[in-house]
Amino acid sequence: MQFSLDFIKELVDINISPKKLSSLLTMAGMEVERLESKGKDWILEIEVTANRYDWLSIIGIAREISVCLNKKLKLNYPKIKTKPTLKKRKIIIESPQDCLFYIGRLIRGVNITNSPQWLQERVLNCGINSVNNIVDITNYCMLKWGTPLHAFDDDKIEGNVYIRRAKEGEKLITIDGKERELFRDNLVIADDKKVIALAGVMGGKDTEVDENTKNVFLEAAVFSPLTIRRSRQKAGLVTESSYRFERAVFSDYLECASQEANLLIERLADGKLIGYGKAGRKPLTKKKVISLSINDLNSYLGSNIPKDSIKKILSHLDFQVKDRGSNGLQIISPAFRFDIKEKVDIYEEIVRIYGYDKIEPCLPFLPFQLNQDELFEFKRKLRSFLPILGLKEIITYSIVSEKNLKNLGKIESINITNPLREQENTLRPTLLTGMLDTIMYNLNRNQRNLRFFEIANVYIKDRDNFKEIPKLSLGVSGIREEFFFLKGIVEELLNFLNIAQYEFREDSLPNFIQALMVVIEEEPVGFFGKLDEKVRKELDLKENIFYGEFNLELLKSFKKENKYKPFSQYPIVYRDISLGLRKDINFKKIGDTIREVGKEFLYNYRVIDVYRGKDLPQDSNFFTLRIFYQSKERTLTSEEVDTIHQNIRDELSKKEGIIVR
Amino acid sequence: MEKEISKLEEEFQKDLSLVKGGEDLEKLRIKYLGRKSPINKLFTQISHLENREEKALLGKNINSLKEKISSIIEEKLKSVEIKEDRLDLTFPSSQAYLGSLHILSIVNNIICSIFERMGFVVIEGGEIEDEKHNFSSLNIPLQHPSRDVFDTFYLDIPESNDGRLLLRSHTSPSQIRVMEKNKPPLAVISPGRVYRPDKVDASHSFMFHQIEGFAVDKGINFSHLKGVLTYFAKSFFSSDVELRFRPHFFPFTEPSVEVDVSCIICKSKHLEKGSEYKCSVCRGKGWLEILGAGMIHPQVLENCGIDYKKYSGFAFGMGVDRIAMLKYGIEDIRLFYQNDIRFLEQFYI
Ligand SMILES: [Zn+2]
Repeated sequence: MQFSLDFIKELVDINISPKKLSSLLTMAGMEVERLESKGKDWILEIEVTANRYDWLSIIGIAREISVCLNKKLKLNYPKIKTKPTLKKRKIIIESPQDCLFYIGRLIRGVNITNSPQWLQERVLNCGINSVNNIVDITNYCMLKWGTPLHAFDDDKIEGNVYIRRAKEGEKLITIDGKERELFRDNLVIADDKKVIALAGVMGGKDTEVDENTKNVFLEAAVFSPLTIRRSRQKAGLVTESSYRFERAVFSDYLECASQEANLLIERLADGKLIGYGKAGRKPLTKKKVISLSINDLNSYLGSNIPKDSIKKILSHLDFQVKDRGSNGLQIISPAFRFDIKEKVDIYEEIVRIYGYDKIEPCLPFLPFQLNQDELFEFKRKLRSFLPILGLKEIITYSIVSEKNLKNLGKIESINITNPLREQENTLRPTLLTGMLDTIMYNLNRNQRNLRFFEIANVYIKDRDNFKEIPKLSLGVSGIREEFFFLKGIVEELLNFLNIAQYEFREDSLPNFIQALMVVIEEEPVGFFGKLDEKVRKELDLKENIFYGEFNLELLKSFKKENKYKPFSQYPIVYRDISLGLRKDINFKKIGDTIREVGKEFLYNYRVIDVYRGKDLPQDSNFFTLRIFYQSKERTLTSEEVDTIHQNIRDELSKKEGIIVR
Repeated sequence: MEKEISKLEEEFQKDLSLVKGGEDLEKLRIKYLGRKSPINKLFTQISHLENREEKALLGKNINSLKEKISSIIEEKLKSVEIKEDRLDLTFPSSQAYLGSLHILSIVNNIICSIFERMGFVVIEGGEIEDEKHNFSSLNIPLQHPSRDVFDTFYLDIPESNDGRLLLRSHTSPSQIRVMEKNKPPLAVISPGRVYRPDKVDASHSFMFHQIEGFAVDKGINFSHLKGVLTYFAKSFFSSDVELRFRPHFFPFTEPSVEVDVSCIICKSKHLEKGSEYKCSVCRGKGWLEILGAGMIHPQVLENCGIDYKKYSGFAFGMGVDRIAMLKYGIEDIRLFYQNDIRFLEQFYI
């Protein structure tokens, strides 16, 4: 909200610089976000918090300044004139829960001109356009008192004035020139024939005050905040008026604002009041009575504020304060403070004026309490482990487009009912989307050697319910031997979790080829594989992408404690063996044979060389394996090793499809 | 057989005399000691002999020849001149490939560990929430201007007893969940993703990260809140950073406060009299807002079944993205979610 300092000065004397004033107000909870000079005036842009409707007025700002500067508020209440009574028309509230009180003043013989300089400046410097003397006067009074007013061209109102809900399909052209379709949620002002205003939000074009206006019907009202909120939401608009009504108006000031506008119209536009009418009843404003213990207050704040200071602060803020024993006070809140409901509200009032900065910081002693979140700990461990494998963490959006998901086949997902854009309208049921986006983004920028991981939730529809599942995704592209790199990563991950018993099962998964399911105790915990041709074409991807996804809750459930495993101190020796393996046969056959024959003397084996050549049979792959031998109990003699190794050679050469060279 | 042994030795001596360098020696070693060498062949031959004594004798002779040959070769190897190739030390290095954590994870870790040092424990909450936990229990009426800052994505899941389902628009629901389930004393910190339908630009994102923290116990007061947050800000930014506690309004705390730190970019230039210097980060104000906090509203405690006459508590919440941007001078929030490798590789763990 924007306010003019000169306008504020009509109500309070200010003897400090605008800059000092700004920081003073900011530290009292009225944050001045911007301070700017404009001619001789200063503009204050103030963030008014949702609880302080009363700060949406010059009076409210001036009152706060008067407290901070210890000055008197120079507020004169005008004498309310309610005669003569309005005879020309009736004011009829048809929807009493939406409109509690309505005042109309019929002012005749107005002379429409530009406003005098001072009035133009007042409204302009508060961020409102100057229109003509009548409109500027209504805005001036709204700014001052915080209660919005509206002026109709009385000659364009046909018959009585009604305050009612709109009928579906009714239409109104508002003063911004837009034709609006109205709904039951809209509260309107209407005459016998038509809708003349969107109540509390914006007036109608047809009844607008213009240069030909002779007679004015001046409206002041108390509308239900909730009604105005719904109505303006339905209309998709926020105005100076709706903003105030939605937060509350103080009914005691309603008559003041209307009367002052009346007086100004008489003075600046030669108008004359010829009828005052009203409908409904002025809502009663309740004052809250709260008793307060000084000790409780100080122990809640960790402060030592003396009773005298408390009393002084509260009186400045228009609270009535009475002593109740040496430690107690009885406090009555001013009528306009709708936000004061209980003790803590008073605490805040006291401490914000006393000064937050005067309370000494102190560290509490926090006793032993809850256990750590185990899943969070697990994720934290993974986050410290995965970078060791050379993977970079990424963070991608949980909200994706349904269309992109369709590229990955039909995956059911949880949709957003009020999406901002089509690109973000559903919750992802897989981390694949984010990984693909990241890899494609980087490939498109000529980056290769991509190795990423992400830890995040996926969201699954579960009949009428939902599941949020924490997952780990792995993605690599543009490196050599991607599949086996990824396989190695998965093996290291399982090692890290001390999961020794697991199985890689070949499986056909949608969108993937060369896919392995990782199975622990017959439970699939995840998979990894190569993105298939179809998806790559869909995405126009030239590079291969290898991807894996794991369920973190399951991985965590199979995780075992890491215990030291003793290893043999006897020497490790190795022998090499060159093999050919027919392409339709899995290496698993070789591995199983080596383990079977090598038994307790087998330490490990590793491919150390792969051959390719035109002179080699094309139906097989050729490579050299290095087999390591070791005993747990003694040093193996070279003859022993030769014998075991020879046995492995013999056994392998018997297998179909394996060539020992 | 013995003849063959001596013939083999002669042959070896002859070959040896022709040796010129290390490479020849290696060839010689493979020829006489390798797997397919004549010596190995001799071993295989004698394994077929029937006469045990003969077998033993010949075996001994072959072995001594093998040892002799290998010691000669070894001796010779020592005398061969070591000739290393010149290495061009100015050649470009080979690239080390490093893994890393995302900067938001790093900042998250730093923040959590500061609070853990003070005795807080980390408990994560869910991202899919209901209206009760995201709003009502936090004293935010469903239809009220105080809700306007919490614009929310709703989900097409049938409504529960606790209202419509949505993506949480702040991490405060975690506070409610923990307080509903556990009795004080409590000191919890809860990080995670939050969502708001904001148009994406340099400083807005429909997904971002927050950390919620709160403590509830007998005798927890406002000065404790100040103490905890001061310790945090000084640990996270630097010990010379100044803090400013400003009154503010949140529906779920009373009194409420916004906390600013003195601008870490322009330091105290703003304080110099007559200085026209305008910092682009704090816009010349000299202060940066980093978090919102306050004493937990008694109604919120009561909503969670905690007796507010016995217990009191404070709560605070901060945006991780914003704090990371301030600390590392990152000017565009979109960089966090683009995952450009040139961005990722600037941060480690
Ligand atoms: Zn700065």
